[in-house]
Amino acid sequence: MAADADFSAGRDNPKTRVPLKLEEVLMAAAMAAMALITAANVVTRYLTDISIGFTEEYSVVLMVVVALLGTAVATAAGRHIRIGYFIELLPARGQRNAEAVAMVLTILCFGLLVVFGTRLAWDEYRFEVLSNGLGHPNWWYTGWLPVLSAFVVARAAGRLIRVLRGEHG
Amino acid sequence: MIGTILFAGFVAMLFGGVPIGVALGLAGAFCIWLADQSIMAMPTNVYAGIAKYPLIAIPMFVLVGSVFDRTGVALRLVRFATALVGAGRGALASVSVLVAMVIGGISGSGPATSAAVGQVVTRGMVKDGYPRPFIASTVAAAAATDILIPPSIAFIVYAVLVPGVSVPAIFMAGMFPGILAGCSIIVAVLIISWIKDFGGKNPDREALSIWRTFKEAIWGLMAPVVILGGMRAGLFTPTEAAVMAVFYGLFVGFVIYRTLTIRDVYEMLVEAAELSGIILSVIALASVFAWSTSTLGIVQPVADWIVGLGFGEYGTIALLMVVLVLIGMFLDGVSTFLILLPVLLPIARFYNWDLTWFGVILTMKIAIGQFTPPMAVNLMVSCRIAGVSMESTIPWVVWMILAMFLSLAAVVVFPEIALWLPRAMGAL
Repeated sequence: MAADADFSAGRDNPKTRVPLKLEEVLMAAAMAAMALITAANVVTRYLTDISIGFTEEYSVVLMVVVALLGTAVATAAGRHIRIGYFIELLPARGQRNAEAVAMVLTILCFGLLVVFGTRLAWDEYRFEVLSNGLGHPNWWYTGWLPVLSAFVVARAAGRLIRVLRGEHG
Repeated sequence: MIGTILFAGFVAMLFGGVPIGVALGLAGAFCIWLADQSIMAMPTNVYAGIAKYPLIAIPMFVLVGSVFDRTGVALRLVRFATALVGAGRGALASVSVLVAMVIGGISGSGPATSAAVGQVVTRGMVKDGYPRPFIASTVAAAAATDILIPPSIAFIVYAVLVPGVSVPAIFMAGMFPGILAGCSIIVAVLIISWIKDFGGKNPDREALSIWRTFKEAIWGLMAPVVILGGMRAGLFTPTEAAVMAVFYGLFVGFVIYRTLTIRDVYEMLVEAAELSGIILSVIALASVFAWSTSTLGIVQPVADWIVGLGFGEYGTIALLMVVLVLIGMFLDGVSTFLILLPVLLPIARFYNWDLTWFGVILTMKIAIGQFTPPMAVNLMVSCRIAGVSMESTIPWVVWMILAMFLSLAAVVVFPEIALWLPRAMGAL
């Protein structure tokens, strides 16, 4: 399979102990909020004198939230963009090992983001860094990075266990 | 040395089936560590890589695609186009290309269009006397015009990454090359159909009234107008245009076609959020990779080396063409841009190429890769829907690849095909 996100075969989620619904509800809400904020921007610009351009800052953080929650769900279900062509040439056992390695690397990658993302947010808290637009403490925003990266780590760990047990996905 | 490790590690992970974002992020982090830079560059770049306002257009256009996918617009467009062109040889095949182009004006992703059009036209085309591999080839090639015809997620990423290129400008620049590519595929499809006598064989086809099908299809046909018109008139930013299209699509789905339920709305939000997450995570982690390649000074020598090969302007474009089509067979457009742009941009600057035009021709090359067997993503989707193997499409799809190459060559030789519209609209 070539690399691109493709949902045309349906989105079948694997059975997980913590239902993926958790992330799904949150990311649907964040997505809807992003759309509504942008729509509100247009309405207020054309119908009133009030500018709510400052909401950009909220939209951006909502997008970061959507990005990481979506990453968590896609990790659990194995729907990330990747080159599957060479892996699929391997026998079943080799495919399983490759998938396990991929999950270990995913845990490593997002684990780094948890650890050093926490330090980033902590530094911003200590040095009282303020956001450019609204002057809020910046760690309110960057803090989502380690928190939601932990979701991705957990989902990758869950998939790793399922793969090692020989369950499908 | 570090550069070699970076690319070797990255390529090994890539071919080993590791998610592309993870491969980019880890290769980048590893090099930051080897070069004794602060690892804090990793979280900083990941956050800064996606916390950019223009990128919000991506989740919003993904949402537009999900909304219209469920409204049943594709089916109504096919009925209208069929009523219009009748049922001669090659007629239905041209219809599917035209419909894929219109859907391309609504959604920004090739595989999604390939699926939407494939599901609607495959049965009718089989009854009408087209062989299934031919159908799969036609749909896949037509869907590849999608990343050229605005809105296009690949273009948004390009505009965000390349200073001096705006989203509206490159959207408009993609318009005529996209239409040209679509028309060239229609010509190829028609010639094959005439020679091989495909189509017009369905004995019990319903007579469709042009007017009645038009009344249904106009709502779908208006969607690209809402998106592009609002943006061109300067009423909306690209992101806002996408949100307007979302509400327009919901209106059509709930009020006009009555095909949507509240449950659908939830599901399209989830689907769009996950798809956005998949795309945005690659963008975020690629910024770590890009940061380490530029900080370690790996990029410039590679660019210098390519320029130093002395192929000249057209020779270099031809070289890039081969490389990009090859890569396009493995990777999607967004990832290709993220990985290669740091090397490609210095080359473009050396030759003084217009960066908007350069973005269009790069995207055309990637589009060709998306339906070139054996790994093409659009073709994979359309083959699954048509129930054929990818190998079986080769005798047909090569002609469509050739057709699209010719339109690419036209845009290379006459840059005005791309640049006239944004210039006329004052976006350049």
